[in-house]
Amino acid sequence: MPGDGTGSVIELRSLTKRYGGTVGIERLDVSVAAGEVFGLLGPNGAGKTTTLRCLVGLLGPSEGQVRVLGLDPVADHRRLAPSIGYLPGELRLYPELTGQQTLDLLAALQGAPVPRQGELCDRLKLSRADLARPVGEYSRGMKQKLGLVQSLQHRPPVVVLDEPSEGLDPLVQETFYELLAEEAAAGRTVLLSSHVLPEVQRTCGRVAIVRHGRLVTVRSVAELRHARARRVRLVFADGLGARPLGAAERWSPRWDGRRVELLVPPDEVVPAVRGLLAELPVADLTVEEAGLDEAFLDLYRSGDGESDGEGDGEGEGDGDGEAAVGAAGEDEAADGNRDGSDGETTP
Amino acid sequence: MTPGTVSRRLPLVWLALHRRRRMLLSLLLGMVVFETLIVVIAGTVAPEELFGAARRNPPGAFRAFSGSNGDISIASYPGLLGAGLTHPFWIALQLTVIGSLGAAAVAADVESGTIELLMTRPVSRRRLLAERTGALVAASVLLNAAATLTVALGVAFSPKLRDAVPEGAVFTAGLLGCALAFCLTGPVLAVSALSRRRAHVIGAAVVFGAVGFALNFVALAWSPARALRYFSPFHYYAPGDVLGHGGVPWAALGVLTGVGLLGLLLAFRLLERRDLAI
Repeated sequence: MPGDGTGSVIELRSLTKRYGGTVGIERLDVSVAAGEVFGLLGPNGAGKTTTLRCLVGLLGPSEGQVRVLGLDPVADHRRLAPSIGYLPGELRLYPELTGQQTLDLLAALQGAPVPRQGELCDRLKLSRADLARPVGEYSRGMKQKLGLVQSLQHRPPVVVLDEPSEGLDPLVQETFYELLAEEAAAGRTVLLSSHVLPEVQRTCGRVAIVRHGRLVTVRSVAELRHARARRVRLVFADGLGARPLGAAERWSPRWDGRRVELLVPPDEVVPAVRGLLAELPVADLTVEEAGLDEAFLDLYRSGDGESDGEGDGEGEGDGDGEAAVGAAGEDEAADGNRDGSDGETTP
Repeated sequence: MTPGTVSRRLPLVWLALHRRRRMLLSLLLGMVVFETLIVVIAGTVAPEELFGAARRNPPGAFRAFSGSNGDISIASYPGLLGAGLTHPFWIALQLTVIGSLGAAAVAADVESGTIELLMTRPVSRRRLLAERTGALVAASVLLNAAATLTVALGVAFSPKLRDAVPEGAVFTAGLLGCALAFCLTGPVLAVSALSRRRAHVIGAAVVFGAVGFALNFVALAWSPARALRYFSPFHYYAPGDVLGHGGVPWAALGVLTGVGLLGLLLAFRLLERRDLAI
């Protein structure tokens, strides 16, 4: 249900939020299409929560523009809020209220019917007895379940979830992933933040990686997988152990006795292996794909130098109407995104 | 609406009052007990006997404790009843309501993070503050009504007090009490709209009340500081004078209500401009 005619439900253009002298988020360009499950990935303090708070109108941007369904979350708050379901990162509830009172209060403020309340409580294992107890007696996981119910109970077309699976036990996490897939299948847009890679890998089609308040890159999960480094393991015949590796030092060698492990970009694997075999007494060699987490860390390590360029590139893409796909003008990214969407959002 | 059932029309008023219902009941009970004590003392002990056998007149500054700017001594029936409506205990009860519900208006929700759940709904900032102001005003009116009704019953059942207090004066004093509470409520809500700490709001309520009372006392006790009394809300809040002479002090009511409204307008303005998350 995009409101600006570009196909984007969420549009961040050069979003900057400062708290006095501290930068929360700087020049963030991201756009999310209808029906997409989009992840905002980064460690604590990266600026994810600030971004989400700007999206739901709790914070006004210092610079830049935020549009959700074509509306300004602060100026058009009352028009936009009925269409948003929001789960805060640090969910704070009124401890004196029971779970049911909490849900009823938030439904009353929403001013809309809550057709999914019962179904969601059932699926997330919140019993009537649980809902009759004061929230102050709830465990972290139960509060999180209540938070998920309140964010989805009115069937909002845009769902914004900040660290949604925190505190959920594995079984409930599975249910949550199913719910996300159903939301996407129903054409609703989900933006979630996380620092848990497997969760993003499991649920999202595309991911924006942020670091120190700046965008490192926007890629599809599938593309991240394709681009991930290869793990090259070497065993040396001479038993001398760690030694200088020359040009290969840039691939973060990790030594273990006479073994060494390198993370090498995929397009450099062949020349790297050829060079190592020529110069060193290699007794054994294995090459395998690194995990997604290593791909992420690799991006993260190199993020300082790349953030400007990638961020700008994404921004240009947004401006050119390429918002629904990954980095601007990258057909591969678009394909990757589609692959990723298909492959990653289905639990 | 049964207790514990969320009001669909005024959920934010319900939330503010429901969460503090035990405190409010305690304050109401405390107010009734305190005013009953004052009325019983005033009805059984002659006021002049309260201040020593020598029948000395109490110092002029004591008028601050009887809620009078004029000639109503604390050693009189209206002065004693006025003292019950200006006593530090009475002030403390009023400030507890104003500080607690004033903090709950905005600052406490920002501090605890619950504002994120409220303000991501189709609730305007104006509505948030309007409903929270409504809850505060309702609680203040209830507290003043409890005090007023207790004093009114005491006056009705005591011939001596009935003779000393003009008809309807107790209710006018009660109205003035509501105006004083509103005068303090406006600025306290402005602090709440600006702050992200409930302690700031409670501190502001205490400062406005205590400093206001002290200023009026100093102005009455020390003639060079006489002009300061105009800056104290307690100069305009004079239940002793109302209970002694009757009539409605329209000017004082106007000043107290006006200051409260100015504070409230400021609160709405400040809330529109601020970030709601820490």
